[in-house]
Amino acid sequence: MKKVTVPEQGLGEKVIRHATAIGVAMKESVYPLTATVFYPRERKKMPDNFRGYLMFDPDKCISCWECAFVCPANAIQMKVAPNKRYYPTVDYGKCIFCHFCVDSCSGGALKTTKIHDVAYKDMDEMLTLTEEMLEEPEIIREDKKSVEYVIDEHDLHLKRVREVDTLFVAVTPPVEIPMVSQCIDRASCIGCRVCEEVCESGAISSSTEQRGILRMKIDTDKCTGCGLCVKECSMRILRLVKK
Amino acid sequence: MIDINTVITGLGIAGNQVSIPIIQQMLDLLPEIPMIKLIISFILWKPFFAALICPGFTTLGILLLFFPWIERKLCGRIQWRVGPHEIVWWLGGIIQLLADSLRFLFQEVIVHKDAHRPYFLQFPFLTFIPALLPLMFIPAGNIVAIETPYAIQIILAVVCLFPLFILGLGWASNSRFAFIGTVREAFMYFAYEVPFIIAVLAMIVLYGTSDPVGIATKQTIWGIILNPIAALTFFIAAAMATSRMPFEIPEAEQELAAGPHVEYSGIAFGLIYVLCYEKAYVLAGLMTMLFLGGGSGPAIAGLGDLSGVIWFLLKVVIVLTTLFVLRAIYPRYRLDQGLSIGWSAMLSLSLIALALSIVLVLGGVI
Repeated sequence: MKKVTVPEQGLGEKVIRHATAIGVAMKESVYPLTATVFYPRERKKMPDNFRGYLMFDPDKCISCWECAFVCPANAIQMKVAPNKRYYPTVDYGKCIFCHFCVDSCSGGALKTTKIHDVAYKDMDEMLTLTEEMLEEPEIIREDKKSVEYVIDEHDLHLKRVREVDTLFVAVTPPVEIPMVSQCIDRASCIGCRVCEEVCESGAISSSTEQRGILRMKIDTDKCTGCGLCVKECSMRILRLVKK
Repeated sequence: MIDINTVITGLGIAGNQVSIPIIQQMLDLLPEIPMIKLIISFILWKPFFAALICPGFTTLGILLLFFPWIERKLCGRIQWRVGPHEIVWWLGGIIQLLADSLRFLFQEVIVHKDAHRPYFLQFPFLTFIPALLPLMFIPAGNIVAIETPYAIQIILAVVCLFPLFILGLGWASNSRFAFIGTVREAFMYFAYEVPFIIAVLAMIVLYGTSDPVGIATKQTIWGIILNPIAALTFFIAAAMATSRMPFEIPEAEQELAAGPHVEYSGIAFGLIYVLCYEKAYVLAGLMTMLFLGGGSGPAIAGLGDLSGVIWFLLKVVIVLTTLFVLRAIYPRYRLDQGLSIGWSAMLSLSLIALALSIVLVLGGVI
C-alpha cells in the first residue's frame, strides 16, 4: 500500500515559506488584487454583444417563428397580435440567455441589451409580452461609475471610470438576403393547402382548376421569405431560394 | 467652606498627576468652577487615569469597537475579498461592530434545557475578571494603575487563569460541540503555557526585574533585538492563547461551529466575542512591555506624559495587527500538531531563549 506522507522540508525551506507567506500578506494588504465590483453603485462595463434582456422591433419581424423553434429552453412562445401576425413573447423564468433567438432572427427584430439584472416579483410577471419588449424597460440606476476588467501581462486589474454606461446598444442589423418560397415539384403537390393556411403574409393562394384540382400560387412580391410554408409542407416540395 | 486644594492634597492625589503641558493652561483656569478641579485632578491622577483611560477602559473600548473591523477588513484585503462593507459603505463599513453589538443587544439570550443555568449565565461575565485585571499592571509610558515589583508575575498568573473560565463556559453549555471545544482548549492550554511562561521568565532574567516601569527604563536596546527567540516564542504562544488562525483549534468554525461558545446567543455571545480581543490586547500590551520598550520613544512636544501613552498604543496596535494577519495567511493545525509544536519546537525555543538571556546577563550586555 502506498502511503501519502508530508513532503520533507528542511528548517531553512520552512522559514523561507513562512517569510514568503508574510511577505505576500503585507503586499496584498497594501495593494490588494481584489476584483470585486460594488454592484449597485458601480457596474461592470459589458461588451456590446452582451447577452442580456431582449428587446423587440415588430417592423422588422417577418413572423418566421425561427426564435421559437430554436429556443432550447422553450422560453419563447408566439402569440397572435391584433394585426393577425405572430410575435414572440419571452418567459424569463425559462430563458437561459443563450441568445440563439437573436442569432437566428433573419430580420434583426430581436436585439440585445446590456441589462443583466432582470428581476420580477412573481412568476406571472416573468412572462414578458411583446408589448413590454417594444420599449426600453424602466431601470433604477444607482451606479455612478463603470468598471472595466483590464488584463495586463501580470494580472487582472479593475479600471474604474466615472461615467454611466449606457445599457441599450445600437446593433447593426444583419445583411438582409431576400428569400422567396418556391415550389420545386409541382406535380407532387397533394393540394392540402397547409401552406396557404400557415402563410401570414397571404402570399400563397389557391385556385381550383377544372376537374377540381387545386393549383397553388406563390406571390413573390408578398412573400417575406419566412420559410413557414417550407417547414410545414407535407410533401417537402417547397424550398427557400434567393430572390 | 472646604478648600479644594486641601482635599486634593489630603487624598494624596496632588503629587501624582499626569502632566500634559498643552492643556495645562486650560486646567489652570478651571479652579474658578467649584468641584471641577477635584474631578479633573482625580481623572488626571495617574492610577485612576491608567484604569479609566489608558491602558484601561476607554482605550480598550475603542479598540474593541474597531479591532474586529480592522481584522476582518485586513484579512479580506489579503484574501482578495472586501470584508465588512455595506454598513456606512463610504467609510468601508467602519461601524460594523456597533451594528453587530446592537443586534447582540436585542437578540434573545437562549438558555437551552440541558445547560447549567447559573453557570451558563454567569461565566460570560466572570470571564471579564482575568481579561480586565491584567490591565491594572500594564504600564502605558509611566502611567500604571498599580505599581508593584511583581507586576509581570501577576499578569502571567491572571492570564493563565483565563482558560479555566473558558472551560467553565464549555462545561456549563453541556453540548457536544462545546465539550469537544473545551477539551481542545484545555489541550492547547497545556501546549502553550509552559513555553509562554519560560519565554517571559527569560526576559525577567535578562532585565533582572519584573517591575514594568523598571523594564521600560532598562530597554535602551529593545528586548526583541536582545532576545528575538523569546519574542518569537512569546508571539506564537500569544497566537495560541488567543486562538488565532494557525492554532484556532478550540473554536474550529468548520468542525465545531464555535467551540466552547457554540450555545451562546444575544448579548452573552457578544461578551464572549470580544473576550478574545481583550485577551489579545492584554498579551499585546505585555509583549510591548517586554520586547518593544513599553512607552519609550521620542517625546512628542507638548504632550508630556501622553507621549508615552501614544507610543505604547502605537506599538500595541502594530502587535495586534500582526496577530490578526496570521488569520489571513495560515490554515489551521490539527490538535496533535498543535500539541507537538507546543511541546517540541516551542519548548526548545523557549529554553534556548532562557539560555541566551543567561548568557547575555553573564556577558554583561545589559
